Amino acid sequence: MTARDAKTRSSGGHRPPLQLRIKRLFYAGLALVALAEIVLPLIFRSSESHFSFEDFPAWGSIYGFASCVAIIVVSKVIGKFWLMRREDYYDS
Amino acid sequence: MTLEWLHPGLLLIVGAWVLPLLKGNVKRAAMLVLPAAALIDCFVMRPGTYGVTSFLGQQVVFGRVDRLSLVFSYVFSIMAFIGMLYALHVKDDSQHVAALTYVGSALGVTFAGDFLSLYVFWELMAISSSLLVLLRRETSAVAAGFRYLLVHIFGGLLLLAGIVLHWSQTGSLAFGDMGAYSGGPAWALILAAFLLNAAVPPLGAWLPDAYPEATVTGAVFMTAFTTKSAVYVLLRGFAGTELLVWLGAVMAVYGVVYAVLENDARRLLAYHIVSQVGYMVCGVGIGSALAANGATAHAFAHILYKALLFMGAGAVLQTTGLRKLSEMGGLYKTMPITLGLYMVGAFAISAVPLFSGFVSKSMVVAAAGEDHRAAIFLMLTLASSGTFLHTGLKLPYYMFFGKDRGISGKEPPGNMLVAMGLAAAACILIGVFPGLLYERLPNPVDFVPYTLQHVTSTLGMLAFTAWGFFLLLKHLDPVPTISLDTDWFYRRGASALGTLVRGPLARLEYGFVGEIYEFVVRRPVLGAANFFRDLDSYVVDSAIVGVGRSTQSLSQVLRTVVSGNAQHYGLIMAAGILVLLAAAIFVK
Repeated sequence: MTARDAKTRSSGGHRPPLQLRIKRLFYAGLALVALAEIVLPLIFRSSESHFSFEDFPAWGSIYGFASCVAIIVVSKVIGKFWLMRREDYYDS
Repeated sequence: MTLEWLHPGLLLIVGAWVLPLLKGNVKRAAMLVLPAAALIDCFVMRPGTYGVTSFLGQQVVFGRVDRLSLVFSYVFSIMAFIGMLYALHVKDDSQHVAALTYVGSALGVTFAGDFLSLYVFWELMAISSSLLVLLRRETSAVAAGFRYLLVHIFGGLLLLAGIVLHWSQTGSLAFGDMGAYSGGPAWALILAAFLLNAAVPPLGAWLPDAYPEATVTGAVFMTAFTTKSAVYVLLRGFAGTELLVWLGAVMAVYGVVYAVLENDARRLLAYHIVSQVGYMVCGVGIGSALAANGATAHAFAHILYKALLFMGAGAVLQTTGLRKLSEMGGLYKTMPITLGLYMVGAFAISAVPLFSGFVSKSMVVAAAGEDHRAAIFLMLTLASSGTFLHTGLKLPYYMFFGKDRGISGKEPPGNMLVAMGLAAAACILIGVFPGLLYERLPNPVDFVPYTLQHVTSTLGMLAFTAWGFFLLLKHLDPVPTISLDTDWFYRRGASALGTLVRGPLARLEYGFVGEIYEFVVRRPVLGAANFFRDLDSYVVDSAIVGVGRSTQSLSQVLRTVVSGNAQHYGLIMAAGILVLLAAAIFVK
C-alpha cells in the first residue's frame, strides 16, 4: 500500500497497528495464493490447460498482475492524450 | 392464441395498465403478482409452438418455446420480480407501466418465432425503455433519453430494412439460423441491428450514455433486457459467425479501458455491461455447444449480478444524491448492508469462486481454449482482471471507503434491500450449485467449473490484481471528467456538420449552385414555358375555337335538314334514288 493510501486510511479513523495488520495479512494472502498455484498442481498432477503458457508456474498470478498494470497504464495514457474531456464538454 | 398457452409478455403488457387503477397495498401486491405470474407461466410452459396466427399471408409465431427461449424467459421474469420489488416504493405509475411493458416486450422477443412479431416487440422494447430514462425528468436525462430513442429508432430501421430484404429474397419471415444467407445485405442489416442493441462498439455508445441518466429503479430494468435479448437473438440467428468472436473480445477489453477513466458510478458499471456482454457475443461467435451454453449461462448470471450492482449504486444515489466517485467516500459506516450486498455482486461479476460469474464466465473462456484461440483467451482473461479491478476494488473503495467526506448516508428503504438480497442470494446459489443453472442450458453440459487449476489460477489472478490496484492507487483517483466515445459523432460531430452546412455549404449553395441553377435551369425553363404558353393560347386555342365554331355552324345547317318529319326523309330518299338512277343511266 502506498503512503497516500495510508494517509487516507488513517484519516478514516483507523489506528495504525490495525492498518499494519491488514497490510501484513494481505501480503501473506498474496504469498499463499501464489504458492498454492505453484505447488498444488505439482502435488495433484492435474492439468486441464488448453495452452502451454497456462502451465507456467503461478501463471494466473503473473498474468493477473500484468493485466491490472497494463489496463491502468494504457487507459490512463489514451485517456490523458485523447479521450478525457471537461464535464461540460457536450454542454457548450 | 389458444387457451392452453398464455403469453407471459402479454400478461405483463396488458397487466401494466391495471396498475394505475389500483391504490395502496393492492397496487403494491399487483406489482409483485404480475411478474410472479409471468414467472410461473414460464416455468409451467412445455417446449412446443404456440400462438400461431396469420398476417398478410405470412405465418406469425408468438410462442416458439424451446430450451433456449425458456432459459432466457426464466431469468427475464425473475429479474422483473426483483426489479418491481426494488421499485415498490416509487410513486410514479408511468414508470411502472413502462417497466412492465419493457419486460413484456423482451419476453415477446424471446418467444418470437418470426421476424414480424420480433420486430413489433423490438420496437416496443425501445420505446418503453426510453421512457425509463425520460421519466427521471431532469434536463440531462431528457436529452439522453431522446438520444437513446433516436439511436434505437435507427437500429429498428436497420432491422426493418433487413427483414423486408430477407422477405423479398426468401419469401419467408421465419426467424432461424441466418448462416445460409451469410454476407448478403439482408444478413448484414439484421446483424447490425442486433449488434446495436447488444451495444457492440462502435454501435454501443448509447448504453453508457443513457443508463446512468435513467431513474434509480428504471436503470435496474435497463441493465437486464435490451442487451441480453440481443444476445438471445444473436444466439438464435448468428451462432458461429467469426466476426462476433473478435468483436466480443475487443468489446470485453474496451469496456474495461473506459471504466478506468470513468467517474460516474453508474456509468462505470454501464461500461462493465459492455465488457460482460463482450464475453457473451464472443461465445455466440465461437458457436460450439460449450460456447453457446457459456453465452446463455453468462447472460443468466450477468442479469442478476449486474442488477445487484446497479441497485447498490442506485441506493447510494437515492440516499445521498451523489453519482460521482470523486464526491463519495466513507459510506461503509452508514450503509453497511448496502456495501455487503454490493460486494456479493462485485464478487459475482469478478468470477470469484462460489459466486455466479465463476461458473458462467469460465464456460466462454474455456470454449475459447477448446477452440485453440490463444489471443481471444488472453483478451478475455485480461478483461476479467479489469472487471475485478473496477467493480470489485475501485468502485467500492472510493464509494464506501477512501476519503471520509462525512456524507450523511443511510440504508435505503426495506423493499430495496430485500430486492438486493434476493439478487445476492441468486448469485451465491448459482455459484455454489451451478447444476441448477447448467441443467436448464440449451445444450447438454459436460463442464466442471470447480477444478483445482481453475480455482487456484483464478484466485491468483484476483489477488495479484488487487496488489496492482493498491500499488497504483494514487493514479486511480477519480477525476471529474467525461470520456469521448462514439456518441461524439452524433453529439458533437453532428453540430460540426451543422456549422459546415450553415456556413461554407450554404454560401456555396446560394453563391455558386444557385447562380448556375438560375442561368442553366431556371431561366431557360421559364423561357421555354412562356413560349409554349403563348403557343398554346394563340395557336392551339384559336385552332380549337375555330374548329368549334365551324362545327357549330355546320350543325345549324344540318339542323334544318334533320327536321324529324318522316315525309321529308322519304322525299330525300326518293330524290336520292332518282339521282342514282339518273347517274346509272346517263353516266354510261
